[in-house]
Amino acid sequence: MTAETIIQSLASGLLMGLLYGLIAAGLALIFGLMDVVNFAHGEFLMIAMYATFFLFAYFAIDPLLAAPLVAAALFVFGAVVYLLVVRFAVRAKANAGMVQIFSTFGLAIVMRGLAQFFFTPDYRSVTHSWLGGKTVSVAGIYLPEPQLVGALVSVVAFIALYFFIHRTDFGRALEATREDAGAVALVGIDKNKVFALGWGLGAALVGLAGAIMAIFFYVYPDVGASFALIAYVTVALGGFGSVFGAFAGGIIVGLVEATTALILPPSLKSVGIYAVYLLIVFIRPRGLFGSM
Amino acid sequence: MTISRRNVLLGATAAAALGPMAARAQASEVAIGVIYPLSGSSAQIGVDAQRAFETAADIINKNYDFALPLAKGEGLPGLGGAKVKLVFADHQADPQKGRAEAERLITQDKVCAVIGTYQSAVAVTVSQICERYQIPFISADNSSPSLHRRGLKYYFRAAPHDEMFSTAMFDFFDAMKKKGQKIKTLSLFHEDTIFGTDSANSQLKLASERGYKVVADIKYRANSPSLTAEVQQLKAANADVLMPSSYTTDAILLVKTMAELGYKPKNIVAQDAGFSEKATYDAVGDKLEGVISRGSFSLDLAQKRPMVGLINEMYRAKSGKDFNDYSSRQFMGLIVMADAINRAKSTDGEKIREALAATDMPGDVTIMPWKRVKFDEMGQNNFADPVLLQYAAKNFVTIFPEQAAVSEAIWPMNS
Repeated sequence: MTAETIIQSLASGLLMGLLYGLIAAGLALIFGLMDVVNFAHGEFLMIAMYATFFLFAYFAIDPLLAAPLVAAALFVFGAVVYLLVVRFAVRAKANAGMVQIFSTFGLAIVMRGLAQFFFTPDYRSVTHSWLGGKTVSVAGIYLPEPQLVGALVSVVAFIALYFFIHRTDFGRALEATREDAGAVALVGIDKNKVFALGWGLGAALVGLAGAIMAIFFYVYPDVGASFALIAYVTVALGGFGSVFGAFAGGIIVGLVEATTALILPPSLKSVGIYAVYLLIVFIRPRGLFGSM
Repeated sequence: MTISRRNVLLGATAAAALGPMAARAQASEVAIGVIYPLSGSSAQIGVDAQRAFETAADIINKNYDFALPLAKGEGLPGLGGAKVKLVFADHQADPQKGRAEAERLITQDKVCAVIGTYQSAVAVTVSQICERYQIPFISADNSSPSLHRRGLKYYFRAAPHDEMFSTAMFDFFDAMKKKGQKIKTLSLFHEDTIFGTDSANSQLKLASERGYKVVADIKYRANSPSLTAEVQQLKAANADVLMPSSYTTDAILLVKTMAELGYKPKNIVAQDAGFSEKATYDAVGDKLEGVISRGSFSLDLAQKRPMVGLINEMYRAKSGKDFNDYSSRQFMGLIVMADAINRAKSTDGEKIREALAATDMPGDVTIMPWKRVKFDEMGQNNFADPVLLQYAAKNFVTIFPEQAAVSEAIWPMNS
């Protein structure tokens, strides 16, 4: 094993990790806001990737330009999902947890089914784009441009999110609603509006990730499944509900995955992720940055 | 949960008890179960397979002038002109769902035969259920060699298995070496279910027997979100030939990741699967010029046997695609099964099994480059000769064995 191999692994792991973080950010945001795990998170990603693919296929819009459009579309989609599905699910008096799980889980299955029906199960790819297939090579280390830009977008998105949550009125309303939804109603903040915007924001973040991923990944109705699993671990690792935990969690997952593959056979590379997760659960059950 | 499971169990037990009593009388329709992934990550395979089986059923049920068994005349003459009715089931690439669906096909839909399954891992469970109910099963397109070695009486496979395919690859390497090419080292890259594992095991065995050095043997998890680490190891090994055994999703990601990490393999000789699928070539075809894949079918055959072209046209009208290695084998699976049912003159499982065991179909009444269809005592057809195809100028051409080749191999692939 040469130094080059190790550096390449760590660099690839870091780039992938930043993207994992961006994918998980929306999940963490929604959970932090209202303690609901969105089991359709992977399907949100799938929809975003399809949207990017179709914008490319029918309007020749490059995924990079499509990214803000897709994020905006997903924002609306997320808000609508809250207003039409989740709003009713959280009203359940009995078995509230189960009702929430099954409503978003059911949504995931419906979305997959509809995608398969309308888009066919065929594997689609954005065949040529500004960044697709391009690679920067520095001293024998290869950094694919789509992943580089993805990592950059992820960092920028998290910085923007930080200022948004801490410096704007809506961000403060979000925080306040999360602290005590009953109390904010007394000061005239519409809880449903805040939740809907929170869902919109969460979906927009995964929309951004989906648009970038469509550059270098294939798209098909089940594409969200393997990424969603990683997103759940990322959120659990970083701390439930902590958006910045998702950022740190993503980086850890990416790096651990890459280093595990250096030591163990690659087919076992996810073992490392879950081993680290278990370790963190022993030491700090709420996750690295989770609050009680 | 408990209640529904109990109900399912009750239902299954009741059905199992009633099964043998239910009369499988002669009818104007013969129901054949066709079990494929119709949803999930390999759903497109199942959808294309449906079209291939429908094409075969069409040829059997209507009158066509092809030199193919049952093409002339309508339906199965041995059963008074009964029509073939296909009952499709979705196993979602999950062996346990495959088991349940096979059971449902047999007990509820009363199918007299089952054909499947694409994924070898699912063929394992489906064929076990068929064995238990004494219903013949044809592996149309499963290629794991261990499948026919389990001592099942009701298991049949007309197409080649991966040892036959891999043997053809190594025969090809030997032939290239005789022509002065340098082939010493191999990298194996395979997914972690029965297909990839069996394929790699037979390649490892052949490599050591014939004096090739395996410099990387990389097993990866199917549908991985990233293959960067895997590709780095392949790149470091930089073997003379890269031999992937991957389904479509991983094949696309592998080729993209290799390009991103600046790895250009000297040669790729693939174990079919993803490397036969149109989706792969649509996505990354520009990076696959010169790739070689094994197959059991080649459209070149239409030049010698015009019906291959005509049947391909029928399939394309339904699916929008040309026959590939999978759809052609699926098509033949139903023809072979229907031919046996016709000769059995019965829908009784045991009689069909006897007829299948007695099958002897000359190669030129099939759409394949096979010598014949004749099963050994384990249900394997050893007369199914594989071919190697090379992707050149956006088309597959047969390059091996010599008697089937229409052009010379481009070697190394980028030359």
